[in-house]
Amino acid sequence: MVRPVRRVVIVGGGTAGWLTAGVIAAKHRSRMPAGFSVTLVESPNVPIIGVGEGTWPTLRSTLARIGVSETELFRECDAAFKQGARFARWTTGADDDSYYHPLMLPQGFMQLNLVPHWLAEGGDRSFCDAVCPQGRICDDGLAPKTIATAEFDAVANYAYHLNAGKFAPFLQRHCCAKLGVRHVLADVRRVNQSEDGDIRSLETEQAGEIEGDLFIDCTGFKSLLIGETLGVKFKECSDVLFCDTALAVQVPYESDASPISCHTTSTAQSAGWIWDIGLPTRRGLGYVFSRRHISDDEAERELRRYMGSAGQDLPIRKIGIRSGHRETFWKRNCVAVGLSAGFLEPLESSAIVLIEMSAKLIAEQMPVCREVMDVIGARFNATTHYRWGRIIDFLKLHYVLSKREDTAFWRDNRLPETVPERLQDLLLLWKHQAPWFHDEFDRIEEVFPAASYQYVLYGMGFRTEVEPDALSSDASLAERAMRENAMQTERLRAGLPRHRDLIRSIHERGLQAV
Amino acid sequence: MSASITNLELLSSESHRHLRLRPASSERPHFVQIITGEFAMAAASCPVLFTKEAATGTFFAGAMFAFKPGESFLHEEGDRGNGFIPLSLQRDGFFIAGEQIAIDRNSSRFSETEGEPLFDGTNQPGIGLRRIQRALGQLKAGLDATDRFIRTLAELKLIEPIDIQLNFDTGGERLTLQGLYTVSLDGLRTLSDSAAGRLLRAGYLQHAYTMSASLEQLPVLARLRDQAIRRTLSAS
Repeated sequence: MVRPVRRVVIVGGGTAGWLTAGVIAAKHRSRMPAGFSVTLVESPNVPIIGVGEGTWPTLRSTLARIGVSETELFRECDAAFKQGARFARWTTGADDDSYYHPLMLPQGFMQLNLVPHWLAEGGDRSFCDAVCPQGRICDDGLAPKTIATAEFDAVANYAYHLNAGKFAPFLQRHCCAKLGVRHVLADVRRVNQSEDGDIRSLETEQAGEIEGDLFIDCTGFKSLLIGETLGVKFKECSDVLFCDTALAVQVPYESDASPISCHTTSTAQSAGWIWDIGLPTRRGLGYVFSRRHISDDEAERELRRYMGSAGQDLPIRKIGIRSGHRETFWKRNCVAVGLSAGFLEPLESSAIVLIEMSAKLIAEQMPVCREVMDVIGARFNATTHYRWGRIIDFLKLHYVLSKREDTAFWRDNRLPETVPERLQDLLLLWKHQAPWFHDEFDRIEEVFPAASYQYVLYGMGFRTEVEPDALSSDASLAERAMRENAMQTERLRAGLPRHRDLIRSIHERGLQAV
Repeated sequence: MSASITNLELLSSESHRHLRLRPASSERPHFVQIITGEFAMAAASCPVLFTKEAATGTFFAGAMFAFKPGESFLHEEGDRGNGFIPLSLQRDGFFIAGEQIAIDRNSSRFSETEGEPLFDGTNQPGIGLRRIQRALGQLKAGLDATDRFIRTLAELKLIEPIDIQLNFDTGGERLTLQGLYTVSLDGLRTLSDSAAGRLLRAGYLQHAYTMSASLEQLPVLARLRDQAIRRTLSAS
């Protein structure tokens, strides 16, 4: 007898839980009258951690698919635009050492790879500025669109900075009011399993027994289902990524007219880095560091030095970080999404994008019956393993490329035994061939596209050998692309509004849906 | 319309006693804002579309007389425009200032020597001025009504972007028009009965279909443009 999968039960009401609920419910809405249901069980007593405030541009299409309004996102979640990240002091540690990892692709990226052409002309000017307008737009403090651009449309590619504490309740309201998600406020007392090991139901304190066919673990670090119940082990990666603690603080603006940065700033310190994220209401700062290299007190002093005279008395919150992920993400009829699946330092805002990708994969491949679930689960695991691996590689890349010698933290980060083998191979390959549409990126929907690797590599002074003779066939095309980039840069700098002005305008008038 | 800096003054029969009114410029901007009350007449000669005000992002409706600024082929053809002159052109040089009328003294419509007097011998508005007062009145009420129409359409998600690509025989020119919007017929078809009823009672359904039908004027406008260009080419 076929056992249909109709009742999806999500445990945990943070960003992961509500995003997953929204993506699944939006995709399967038409099946609901015939008995398909999405239930989210949330403890009324467990506080939400609210992972990172940075996101990827994928969130735009995810939110559009769920059906929320971008205007309301800005009004209700203190959202701001994010056009990439500026990395300061990562390469040499000098005062003028910085580069951008923007969100726009290099000019003509689909047709040609500009890296060798840029290198052939000497590689002296900033790679980002040579191939893309976004670094300059960020320098100018401009927004990536205008008030006449439709919701979720971009003039320059963008993601968001947002108040994670407001984002989950925002999604919750939409999921319950518009998408038919059932919200149950109850503490899970016991997880009941059937004889074969599947999860059969949740016994709750306030709402009795809740049965389900597919359970999604969004319980955060607790990992109630995948870890505690099904015993899937956690795989640390602190041998590759050393940071294990964060000190976070919220800093008010001088005035409500102060400019809002339109990018994340990540400034390298003695044993880690400080994030600096501008929301319309405040800045969020945090020092992510390795306790193996400095003490909490030293870290706090560095953070306070970064903050300057402003807010020396502001309270600092300490958050433990355990870098790594589950050995398996989908086991039996349970799949982990969000912190229950794993966590990595927020250097490239990978937390929410991984939630989106996992939720989309579950929604699109939703098993029709229990009999096919293991096949889909195995696929999910293969894809998700690949993604975590690529994120770890990409984060490590930032450390490996650093030339800093000033502290053990930076020197240790370059020890070969701390660098994943695959990344070592790629670094070898990239000495002779710049990353582009080559086979090292073999999965659709990469977390970080080849363009991201280009921006970080060449932003940090990495050099690839070029053979000028091999470039001549594309030389005029490349020249045109760079010229077009210079023109587009000036056009956008002249036409885009200031970041705070646009946000104010969105609050007052709203963006049109089309 | 005058491109020079405006110099607004409140209209008064005292200080503007000697002022004369010249006809509105025959030049047509390529896209002119209109009100719903003008839709039917406009649609008889040109496409009626929505576009966004750059500064605010809000929609307004307009009559499209040409595809590019500075072009105007519609009216060369023995005035195929059927004499349709949008209110916002009729009132050129005149503005609403609260309960009063203001004029742009720099507008070419005003002269001390040419045209009909603004005021008659008894300091009463002349025929020309009275016509403009009427136009301003219609415009004021009409713009509010049109805003309500547009807001209702936007709320019901009935506005959709339309990308217009035109290939011209002459010279192989290709024009892409962006930033234009029209009524979504798919959206209208899937409206609930209550929403459709609301639109019908408000008279909005008729405006919506008028806009949609006016898209048939696009190929007509393209053909006129093509012919005009060919005439210019053969004449030179």
